[in-house]
Amino acid sequence: MEITITSLSDVQHVLLTGDVDGKSAPEVLEAVLPLITPQAKLLLDLGGVAYMSSAGLRMLLSTFRQVGMQNAKLVLTGVAEEIRDTMSITGFLHHFTICDSVEAAQAALA
Amino acid sequence: METLTVPGHLDSLSIIGAYIMDAARNAGLDTRPAYRLRLAVDEIATNVITHGYEEAGKEGSVYLTASSDSAALTIILEDTADPYDPTTRAQPDSLDLPLEERPIGGLGIFLTIRNVDTFAYERRGDRNRYTFVMNLPAS
Repeated sequence: MEITITSLSDVQHVLLTGDVDGKSAPEVLEAVLPLITPQAKLLLDLGGVAYMSSAGLRMLLSTFRQVGMQNAKLVLTGVAEEIRDTMSITGFLHHFTICDSVEAAQAALA
Repeated sequence: METLTVPGHLDSLSIIGAYIMDAARNAGLDTRPAYRLRLAVDEIATNVITHGYEEAGKEGSVYLTASSDSAALTIILEDTADPYDPTTRAQPDSLDLPLEERPIGGLGIFLTIRNVDTFAYERRGDRNRYTFVMNLPAS
């Protein structure tokens, strides 16, 4: 799993490349949680992720909760169809803002 | 396909995933059902490794065998952890709850059962045996 963090003005862009599974999901969470400061704007980019298991859902759940507690904002982009399926049947999908491009996500976070 | 034997560590998940995707390709499964099969097997493998081996302080392997005929692709996963039958677990009733109130676990087994055509568990000697079946489209 590669985790690349870039600042796009006031947005923290976290690009993941690789599978999000039981091995890598805790690594992702460890990298993401410190970025969720009060009023932070987080763009989680799954553009390099072809596979995500329930360990990834747990990572998203923990991220979602931290974002809520810090009054921060979270947008996802690059979500593959299969991952959308998993998020849909588990009731996760409608809780998240998902954009089709980094630009759209930045606009949603503005 | 030849049986794949990997150590019961989380590092093995990617090897297991590759084995399942190879088996799916060889059997002529489409990409969407292939993904669902990988997810189902990965969830059980993760449980076996995390709860059956690591948390229990046990060392062991995960054994995978793929076989197919014209009707179906069957994956058998075995381990030597303590008996654990996921089919007796209640399905999560929390899927409609707001995410703030969700329990953090319990989704893996749900995804397994939901994503394959048949899922079965049996205890054979000192092994747990999990069977995953994906029906193949009639050609």
